Amino acid sequence: MSVLLDRLLGEQRELTAVEQFAREDDAGALPSQQTRYSRLLPAAPPRAGQQYGFEVDLDRCTGCKACVTACHALNGLDEDETWRDVGLLVGGTAANPLMQHVTTACHHCLEPACMTACPVDAFEKDPVTGIVRHLDDQCFGCQYCTFACPYDVPKYHHAKGIVRKCDMCSSRLAAGEPPACVQGCPNEAIAIRTVDRHDVLEDAEAGSFLPAAPDPHLTLPTTTFRTARALPRNMLPVDYHAVSPQKPHWPLIVMLVLTQLAVGAYLVGIVLERFLPQQTIAAFRPLHAGGALGFGLLALVVSVLHLGRPQYAFRAVIGFSHSWLSREIVAFGVFAALASLYAAGAWLAPGGRWLTWLGWSVCVTGLAGVLCSVMIYVFTRREFWSLPAVATRFLLTTVLLGVAAVWLSLMVLDVAGEPAARQIVERTGTWLCRTLMLAAAAKLAFEALIFRHLLSRRATSLKRSAALMAGPLSNSVMARFAAGVLGGLVMPAFLLFSSGDATAGPRAEMLVVAALLFAASLGGELAERYLFFAAAAPPRMPGGLRS
Amino acid sequence: MSLLHQRTGPLTRELVLEPAGYGLGHLPARLKPEATATSVCGYCSTGCGLTLHLQDGRAVGLSPTADYTVNRGAACPKGWEALAVLDAPDRATMPLLRSAAGRLEPVDWPTALATFTSRFKAIQERHGREAVAFLSTGQMPTEEMALLGALAKFGMGLRHGDGNTRQCMATAVVAYKQSFGFDAPPYTYADLEESDCIVLVGSNLCIAHPILWERVLRNPHRPAIIVVEPRRTETAMQATLHLPLAPKSDQTLFYGLARTLIENGWIDRRFIDAHTSGFPEFAAFVAGFPLERVAAETGLAAETIERVARLVHAGRRVSFWWTMGVNQSHQGVRTAQAIINLALMTGNIGRPGTGANSITGQANAMGSRMFSNTTCLFAGRDFASEQHRGEVAEILHIDAARIPDDAGWSYSEIMEGILRGKIKGLWVIGTNPAHSWINQNQCRDVLDRLEFLVVQDMYATTETAQAADLVLPAAGWGEKEGTFINSERRLGVIRKARAAPGQALADFSILRLIAEAWGCGEMFADWNSPAAVFQILKRLSAGQPCDITGIEDYAMLDRCGGIQWPFSVKASPFSRDSLEERSLQRSGDSDRSSEIGASEVCDAPASERRLFADGRFYHNDGKARFLFEQPRPLPEPPVAAYPFLLLTGRGTVAQWHTQTRTCKSPVLRKLAPAHVYVELNPTDARALGIAPHARVVVESQRGRLEACAVLTNTVQPGQVFIPMHYEETNRLTDAVFDPYSKQPAYKACAVRVRGV
Repeated sequence: MSVLLDRLLGEQRELTAVEQFAREDDAGALPSQQTRYSRLLPAAPPRAGQQYGFEVDLDRCTGCKACVTACHALNGLDEDETWRDVGLLVGGTAANPLMQHVTTACHHCLEPACMTACPVDAFEKDPVTGIVRHLDDQCFGCQYCTFACPYDVPKYHHAKGIVRKCDMCSSRLAAGEPPACVQGCPNEAIAIRTVDRHDVLEDAEAGSFLPAAPDPHLTLPTTTFRTARALPRNMLPVDYHAVSPQKPHWPLIVMLVLTQLAVGAYLVGIVLERFLPQQTIAAFRPLHAGGALGFGLLALVVSVLHLGRPQYAFRAVIGFSHSWLSREIVAFGVFAALASLYAAGAWLAPGGRWLTWLGWSVCVTGLAGVLCSVMIYVFTRREFWSLPAVATRFLLTTVLLGVAAVWLSLMVLDVAGEPAARQIVERTGTWLCRTLMLAAAAKLAFEALIFRHLLSRRATSLKRSAALMAGPLSNSVMARFAAGVLGGLVMPAFLLFSSGDATAGPRAEMLVVAALLFAASLGGELAERYLFFAAAAPPRMPGGLRS
Repeated sequence: MSLLHQRTGPLTRELVLEPAGYGLGHLPARLKPEATATSVCGYCSTGCGLTLHLQDGRAVGLSPTADYTVNRGAACPKGWEALAVLDAPDRATMPLLRSAAGRLEPVDWPTALATFTSRFKAIQERHGREAVAFLSTGQMPTEEMALLGALAKFGMGLRHGDGNTRQCMATAVVAYKQSFGFDAPPYTYADLEESDCIVLVGSNLCIAHPILWERVLRNPHRPAIIVVEPRRTETAMQATLHLPLAPKSDQTLFYGLARTLIENGWIDRRFIDAHTSGFPEFAAFVAGFPLERVAAETGLAAETIERVARLVHAGRRVSFWWTMGVNQSHQGVRTAQAIINLALMTGNIGRPGTGANSITGQANAMGSRMFSNTTCLFAGRDFASEQHRGEVAEILHIDAARIPDDAGWSYSEIMEGILRGKIKGLWVIGTNPAHSWINQNQCRDVLDRLEFLVVQDMYATTETAQAADLVLPAAGWGEKEGTFINSERRLGVIRKARAAPGQALADFSILRLIAEAWGCGEMFADWNSPAAVFQILKRLSAGQPCDITGIEDYAMLDRCGGIQWPFSVKASPFSRDSLEERSLQRSGDSDRSSEIGASEVCDAPASERRLFADGRFYHNDGKARFLFEQPRPLPEPPVAAYPFLLLTGRGTVAQWHTQTRTCKSPVLRKLAPAHVYVELNPTDARALGIAPHARVVVESQRGRLEACAVLTNTVQPGQVFIPMHYEETNRLTDAVFDPYSKQPAYKACAVRVRGV
């Protein structure tokens, strides 16, 4: 028995002898089905004004998804990494129901948003073939392209810390061999064709790309979806009504909030100084400037954590001419340098007049950074991230947290026994409280406006955001508004209405009130920024069934 | 500069493609094969060829085999991902025995085998030998099925054993047996390419058999495609004519069509007279199916039915194909025979592009039908026949008295036997009844009543394995050798190109160990390798319709790209046998006589061969029979309390049955909805106040589940559809069976739906 067992266990580890079944390599380099594929490939390379594009014959796409697995297998992708997706459109009438599976990959756009967005120039568009290729070794994993591409094409690879994407199997094409998906489709629904760039423009103009797909104007995608059927107007993706929170990107949340806090602190501080005597300024400035610098530097350190490969952060400068992310990094870099100078100056010569000018330049570069931050999100053209929406949020956060940071500085000064703190509160306390309350009220009201979209009859992307916030994200929304009201309205109101008393009262009380004000305001803004990411319903290609 | 802008480096090189040779085109350098070998796929009955990319004998990747007749370079996602599921962390790597504390704990093989034999023998001593039964699978190679059937029935003296193939093709088996005299799907896949009219009944090829749909697309004759199916499936979307008939009214439809064809004289009199029996009775019977009745019962317009009749008449080569929509029915056998009748009466059989063709489910359903020794004695013989028992006893050198004289109980009867206390021990191999069996709550209750439950599986995490007293760790596809037989009767070889994890063993090895432990090892001394058993199977098949004596060995199967049965030693090189062979490569649309296989001499059989070219069937009179019966009403029609009819079926190509294997591939998981959903017509949803994507409760008289509502016009009002792949689905289904095939009727029961 045990002899047999040992033998069988041993045999189980032996593989069928290679010589017994293995085929010799007598078949050459090209796939054996070359003749079959030839009609799925362009006869000649693109001429001037042309490029390669995928062509999908929708009448032949039956949703088997072999293309996804063929791409995965033949390109040696990792675990669950996929570069192709298959979505499903449903519509029609009871008498004539229709469903249409749609296979999509990178559209190798004429104006690739990924390429424009990339701060390190890790994308390049081949001048002849038009293929948009990603340079894996150049990528530092900022994932900005994953925001920028309306088609969710670049996929972030966590373990490697970089993005990877479809390159239309350019090395296969160069050898006259079809891309993996073309080989993999049993129904010959995917082909490579040369497309006239002019036609792509015209098609985008006519809006004829694919029902329910993101607007082709954004990037001018070159994929052609062909069908002999007339798709009814009510075709909708089967996941149209599915909403799920987006990835929050915590380092970005912290970085955005803290940079805005730092810029706001400088800004409010320097405005405040105009109302203060020189002596008081000299007491207030070193601490406040130091504190703001601390928050600013912390923000920059945290932002680096967002990178998949932070060691290459320095590459961010090279995309300055086109990438808002690159500009943001440069602006905040200059801001940090000037702010350090300013803080050093404030400690060494707190009364220096030149410091005021330096302070203003810190504010200007900081604001420039904040505006770059705004543009990063505006560039993605998500409705939730429109220019008015993002600018309102970011600028109000700047003001709100700037005031809160001043209260924090005042509290620390007071605790340290510095009498200037009380003087400043006496002179400007009311003003500070009112500004804070105004900013907070405006911001909370603005944020709450999103819920009006729940009344919309259309499932717009803003309604999706509202639905997310009213549904799966409702706890975060409650926390955000509670913190916002506490830090931005209740605490300053308390300071205001107990005017004189609270600030004149025992130090402990001042400590508690100001600390609570700051912590709640900061917490509220972090929660707001979490929702900013989590509730941003991105544009997307028709997806598959989700349950 | 390169530090600032690095165009290449290690990350880039990871994905750089290089010419791989072996006709594979470019592959990533690290996956470049040193050799390749062909293995047939282990999921569905299509039986695609997969080229394994070997490094040091180990498969590091695969691609569909370009020159394999069946799939010609294409595969579905399951096939592409066939290797990925072998690496799952929940593979069973050691035998597991339920401890006194009630937990499954690892034990060594000798302990497991000793427990297996002592517990089962004890049950047999107390309750009789038939108190232990087995349930097997259509996913194992034929050689393993044969050893299991022989060991269990001849060695261990078990009387009752069945396969999960009962759930997928028992109906087709019985229908063919009764109509043709032998369980013989007559077709070859090339018929899909040769037809000018293709009728698909309860068959969503695009999703269930995507590679067969590929073959349809290669049909150069612009065929009319008629899809008979309550839902507007992917396949129905592609049809020339979709007949969204009332569920389970297909039998009535085909009788009505038969009547219309007869009335118009659109039948092949010459063929009917020469090659069939029972036609006059059939003609008289279908006279009772006038168009008005058929239209009323199917919900189709009379003109539509007439149009189908015209299309069938107009077609010179009409093929009828059915799958689970027919098989899994309370009247599946008669429905399948209603289809067979249409083919017979129009002479659409035995010629290219014709046939009444059952497309089966599992990779080796056909192997199980021929050689599992469950419902039929080896090679399509009858347990009840003394002559057959004698033949088998002689070939296997065993005492004929050891061969039981009936087939034993079917799956459903075994379950009932447990309920009635007749069966106390159950041995489950490669299947998952706690998920897949109909009326799940009752099924689990039944399994709980067992004194000893053994599960032999690749994964220790299946619902059934979790309920087992003993789990035996099995090697899977890719880790063992043997042959599969696909839907078109093609034998193909599978390879061992991966080491099994831990102490998992091929089912073949487990069976040998059990034989040894049971004390009947001597009896199976010749059964010492799959290749050896293949030779035994050849001897068992000699002279039977499924004769495979002409196949030398695995190497020949490999060389020929698979070989369809029959292929007798007489037919190799082709002499004229009782079954005609012909090569499709030379086929035109010539008349019947020239197609009858002229003898040809070649090294290998033609790559595509079909049955009945000479119009001779397997009944003693050589004729096929017209079999029919009054359609029976739905066992559980919708009523006020349960107003919807629940349809079940395949959800996506990326899911296989209970997802035991497919959910182990991260990519396949991405390609299918993670949780159960129910498709509901928007009109019904509005009436119920159910919003798109809302959570709903679906309840039948037997159980309930909570699902995500997907609103689509592709299901008709009054019907809902839930894919079978989710554990919850069978809580709802009703344990009703076809009276002849005992196949469960999964596809129609009454439910109600409400918002959560």
